[in-house]
Amino acid sequence: MPAQKHIAILGAGPGGYVAAIRAAQLGASVTVIESHALGGVCLNWGCIPSKALLSVVELGDKVKKSEDLGLLVPGPVTYDLARMIARKNKVVATLVKGIATLFKAWNIEHVQGTGSLRDRRTVTVSGDGGMRDIQADAIVIATGSSWPNLSQFPIDGTQVLTSQHLLDLDIIPASLLIVGGGVEGCEFAALYSGLGTVVTIIELMPRVLPLEDEEISSTMGRELKKRGVTVLTGTTVDRLERSSSTITVHLKEGGEIAAEKLLVSVGRGLNSHGIGLERVGVRMGQRGEILVNERMETTVPGVYAIGDVVGKVMLAHVASAQGKVAVENIMGLEASVRYDVIPAGIFTLPEIGRVGLTEQQARKRGEAVGQNPDVAVKVGRFRYAGVGKAQATGDTTGFFKVIAESSSGKILGVHIVGAHAADLVHEAAMAMQIGATVTEMAEMIHAHPTLAEGLMEAAEDVEEKAIHQVRNRI
Amino acid sequence: MIPKDLRYHQEHEWVRVSGTQATVGISHFAQDALGDIVFIDLPKFGAVVKAGQQIGEVESTKTTSTIYTPVSGTISKINSDLKDHPEVVNSDPYGKGWMVVIDLSSTNEVEKLMTAAEYEAFLASQKKG
Repeated sequence: MPAQKHIAILGAGPGGYVAAIRAAQLGASVTVIESHALGGVCLNWGCIPSKALLSVVELGDKVKKSEDLGLLVPGPVTYDLARMIARKNKVVATLVKGIATLFKAWNIEHVQGTGSLRDRRTVTVSGDGGMRDIQADAIVIATGSSWPNLSQFPIDGTQVLTSQHLLDLDIIPASLLIVGGGVEGCEFAALYSGLGTVVTIIELMPRVLPLEDEEISSTMGRELKKRGVTVLTGTTVDRLERSSSTITVHLKEGGEIAAEKLLVSVGRGLNSHGIGLERVGVRMGQRGEILVNERMETTVPGVYAIGDVVGKVMLAHVASAQGKVAVENIMGLEASVRYDVIPAGIFTLPEIGRVGLTEQQARKRGEAVGQNPDVAVKVGRFRYAGVGKAQATGDTTGFFKVIAESSSGKILGVHIVGAHAADLVHEAAMAMQIGATVTEMAEMIHAHPTLAEGLMEAAEDVEEKAIHQVRNRI
Repeated sequence: MIPKDLRYHQEHEWVRVSGTQATVGISHFAQDALGDIVFIDLPKFGAVVKAGQQIGEVESTKTTSTIYTPVSGTISKINSDLKDHPEVVNSDPYGKGWMVVIDLSSTNEVEKLMTAAEYEAFLASQKKG
C-alpha cells in the first residue's frame, strides 16, 4: 500500500473546507490552515448571515400585508436589530461548529494561523503558537477574496462600511447610501429598506444588477423603487465629505446626497499576496488572480488553487466544486469543473434565480455565428400571477423566463424573479446539465399546486403553448 | 369610452391641453389590455422630456408596459396618489387616473396627435390586423 498522501489547504472557506473533507474521503491526510473562522466569508460574513437577517424582513413584509390575508396582528411591525443579529450569530455558530465536527470525524487537522508557501512542498504557519512548518505532498490555495479597499472610499467601520460591518450593526441607521448596485448592493438595499432605513443606491451602469438578464434587472429596479429605495443609475461618486453625524456624497453628474452610513459595494480584492506565491513561482494574472488549468492546478506542479482567488466565478458553490475537483485530481482521479451550468441566487425581495445565458448573451452568441438572433433564440415567459399556488400564498410578484436555441430546443438559460426563485432554478439547471430540451422540460409532469408549474408554463411558452396565458398584444 | 376633447398617441396615451399645459394619461383601451394595475413608475418633477420618449412604466398582474410621452416639455406635476392607488388608472383612466402634467415646449406637437375619431379608427384597424 502506498504511503498516505498529505494535503495542506490554505483557507477554510466553502472552497477549502469542502476540499478537505473530499480529500479525507479519498484517503488523504489533511491539514487546513485558517486565520479566521471555519466557513470563511460565506458562512461568517456573507451568504449565511445576510440570509438569516433577510428572512426576518421577508417575514415582516408578509406580516405587514397580513390583514389582507385575514391574519390580524395588532400594532405595527417593528424590528429589534440587536436580537436579529444575536440570532444570526447563533445560526453562524451552529454551522461553524458543524464544520468542526465534520473535520473531527474525518480526522482533518485544523491549524489556526496564517499560512504562506516556503517552498513547493512546505507551508509556514504563523499563529498564536509561534511558527510551524507543514510538509505536504500537495498544497491547495483557497485564500479567497477580501472587502473593498479603495482610496476613494476609506473604510472606517463607523460611517464608511463594508458588508461585514452592516451585518453587525445593532441600531438601524436612519439612512444608508449604497455605492454599487450589484448583487450585494441590491441585497442590502432590500434588507435595510425593509428595516425602515432610507436607502439610496448609486450605480455606475445604466441598470442595477448589470450582469443579469435585462428584464430581470429592470424588474429589480422597479421592485426596489416599490420598497422606497432611490435608485440612481448611470451615476458616479465624485467625492465624499464627512461630518461627525453624516456623510455627504457629491456626484459627478452634479448634486449631492447625505446619509448616516455608506456601504462600499464595489471592488473586491483577491487574497493572493503575502502568501509566498512569488517565492515558489506560482503565476498570477493582472488582477492578482492565480492562474490555473481545468484541473485547478497552478503553474507549479503539486500546487493547486480554488475559489475566489482564481478569479473565475466568485461564488461559494463554485469554490466548493473547484475544491472537490482539485483534491480528486491530487488523489489520482480525473476531474474538471463545468462552468456552463452554474445556478446562482440573488437574495433580494423578491428573490432571483438564474442559470446559463441571459437573453442578450444568447442573442450575441447567435449573431457571432452569423445567425439572425430573432430566429435563432426563442424566449418563453410566465408570470407568477398566473400560477395558482402563487395566488394562494399571495406571492404573485415576478416571472419565469426560459431562453432556448430554436434549432435544437436546447435550453440556453433560465431566469426567475419571485418567491423561492433560487430554489426553483435548479430544475432548469439539472435539465441543462443533462442536455434536456425545452420540450422535455415542458412535457415533464409538474405537481399542482406548486410554483414549479410556472417554469413548465414558461417552457411551454417558448412554443407559445402555455395553458394559462394569452400572449400579450400590447 | 373615447372622450372627444382629448388627443391620442399611437402608444395609447391621451393628452388634455389647457393653455400651455398638457395632462397625460393612458387610454381606456390600454388599461383594459393591461388588466389590474399594481404599480406605476412616473418621471421626476422637473424632468425635461421629448415627445416619444419613455417616461415611466405601468405594471399590471399580466405585464409591464412602457409609458411614452406624446408631447415635449417639462414635468410640472405628478399624480402622487397613484403611488398607493395605482388601480385608479383602471377605474378612471381619463379622470383621477391622470399621470403627469407637462409644461409644453411647443403646442404644435399636439396637432400631430390623433383626434378621438382618428383614435377610434386606429383601434378598429389594430383589431383587424
